[in-house]
Amino acid sequence: MKNHIFLLTFTCLFIACNSSKKEEKDQIVVGATMLSMQTEFIVNISDEMQKKADEMGVKLILVDAERSPLKQMEQVESFIAQKVDLIVINPCEVEASSPAVARAIAAKIPIVGVNSATTIAPNAFVGSDDVEAGRIAMKYIAEKLGGKGNVLMITGFIGQSAQIQREKGANEVLKSYPNIKLLATQAADWDRAKGMDLMQNWIQSYGTKINAVFSQSDEMALGAVKALQASNMKDKVIVVGIDAIQDALQAVKKGEMDATVFQNSKQQGAGAIETALKLAKKQSVEKQTIIPFQLVTKENLSEFLK
Amino acid sequence: MQSIKKLKEYGIFIAFLLICITLTIISPQFLTISNWLIIFTQVAINALLAFGVTFVIITGGIDLSIGSVVAVSGIVVATLAHPDQFPLIIPILGGLLTGLFIGILNGFLITKSKIAPFIVTLGIMTIGRGVALIISNGRPISNLADSFNFIGGGEILGIPFPIIILIIVFSVCSIVLKKTVFGRYVYAVGGNEQAAWASGINVNQVKMAVYALCGLLSGLAGILLTSRITTGQPNAGVGFELDAIAAAVIGGTSTTGGIGTITGTLFGVILIGVLNNGLDLLNVSSYYQQVAMGIIIIGAVLLDSWNLKTNR
Repeated sequence: MKNHIFLLTFTCLFIACNSSKKEEKDQIVVGATMLSMQTEFIVNISDEMQKKADEMGVKLILVDAERSPLKQMEQVESFIAQKVDLIVINPCEVEASSPAVARAIAAKIPIVGVNSATTIAPNAFVGSDDVEAGRIAMKYIAEKLGGKGNVLMITGFIGQSAQIQREKGANEVLKSYPNIKLLATQAADWDRAKGMDLMQNWIQSYGTKINAVFSQSDEMALGAVKALQASNMKDKVIVVGIDAIQDALQAVKKGEMDATVFQNSKQQGAGAIETALKLAKKQSVEKQTIIPFQLVTKENLSEFLK
Repeated sequence: MQSIKKLKEYGIFIAFLLICITLTIISPQFLTISNWLIIFTQVAINALLAFGVTFVIITGGIDLSIGSVVAVSGIVVATLAHPDQFPLIIPILGGLLTGLFIGILNGFLITKSKIAPFIVTLGIMTIGRGVALIISNGRPISNLADSFNFIGGGEILGIPFPIIILIIVFSVCSIVLKKTVFGRYVYAVGGNEQAAWASGINVNQVKMAVYALCGLLSGLAGILLTSRITTGQPNAGVGFELDAIAAAVIGGTSTTGGIGTITGTLFGVILIGVLNNGLDLLNVSSYYQQVAMGIIIIGAVLLDSWNLKTNR
């Protein structure tokens, strides 16, 4: 596998040195449409894709779908019109982004899905299973509580695949702990300020009954932590988020958050480009590469801190 | 007759009381001091924006850029507010001036180009969002100084600091609008622009001033938000313009211009805050919260148009 990368790098370098005029024709062009360049995690994946593309001498056209499945489809259509060699899609939505995948397949341009799934399967998928993230986080809470207590769940933007799947995973775990009660589930739209407001309101209605908070993202978890701190309740409430953003890792370090779940943007981004290039060379690829989530607590924190 | 007219004028206030009474009956936590402190803290940001946009709407204009201004000023503030970097006044000035600058830019384009305010501020909204993403590289800026975080999280005599800012800005804005010559000009321009011009009011100057004020208050809101969540986020404030406009409209500001008060807007802001808070307390699903908000906005505008018809 490494040999191939070297070979490709050399080939590209060779081409690049040999004739700059021919470059445009011979260089492999990858078109990538990303869910949202306003989300830190997606920006991280894009950066890793760009790094890998540069390393392998591939031209990467990176566009932002701004969370709109319609826009994403138009972008894929324009990639097809531009005759790119490969397409990478980071879908906005499970169902609504599927037609975009279908167009690429119909145009016989290999398409690789990254990060989250679509109903119509692309030629290959590199990403993580969000259900697993919800399971890991809730399981940690359940064990910390000793199988008994009251939990609140802060969800992301309702209807997005990450929200649906993380909730599904968390609820699966809750089923096997009959003594853990889910007091309430409310959306805070992945937003820190909204997470804080929601937590303040919950403190008013549930007060000391709250034993743990599962937040579907770190941003919202950090907001909840601020609200809990203001009411001097942080020491009594377990807070767990997902994504392992730097702020959250710092919070785990300081003991403000109990745990977060790490999603590997590097492996996802680089993996997507590698897989795409293999498809271009008609090599066999895994239909699905699932990159596992990892629980981050104080014990293993040092592996993740930048 | 008199009492019926009064009833209509105070319609929003009555609706507000009804909602509060209902919430008090079904949720014992609702009518507590601690809960109301939370409600006022939560509405402070929307209040600042809504006050600014009230001035603009009274002149017959609109400002859609305020959510983006919150983001840009928040990013500027966060960049300047790392620990031991500058004295506290620098990030605050940075945020305020950013807001003021964008406000003046809005006003300049609207008065000089004669393009509709809706279009100008829509453009600035998109540009602002882009600028916030450019400055921050699309990532949140964290690790801010503790002294700065006081603005959004601190308390004086048990009163959260955002509430103090809210009270000060409310007082200043309502005095300016009600008691000053400038305030009367604002109503005059919105009531009948030609007549205002004919009576010697510098219409363009008044318009410039309201957009500048709106920008300045949005900048302040950006500072407050950044301090409250202790990060500058490029995607902060998406949709804030709609909440602010909704609050102004619920509070009786007429979208055709010439009518509106800061006190009315404050009521609109609190009504939205109470509804969010109350529905959370009752654990009403987020789906229904959005439906409830929409019904109230339309109800308020209906009441407003009903008022206009019966008064003329």
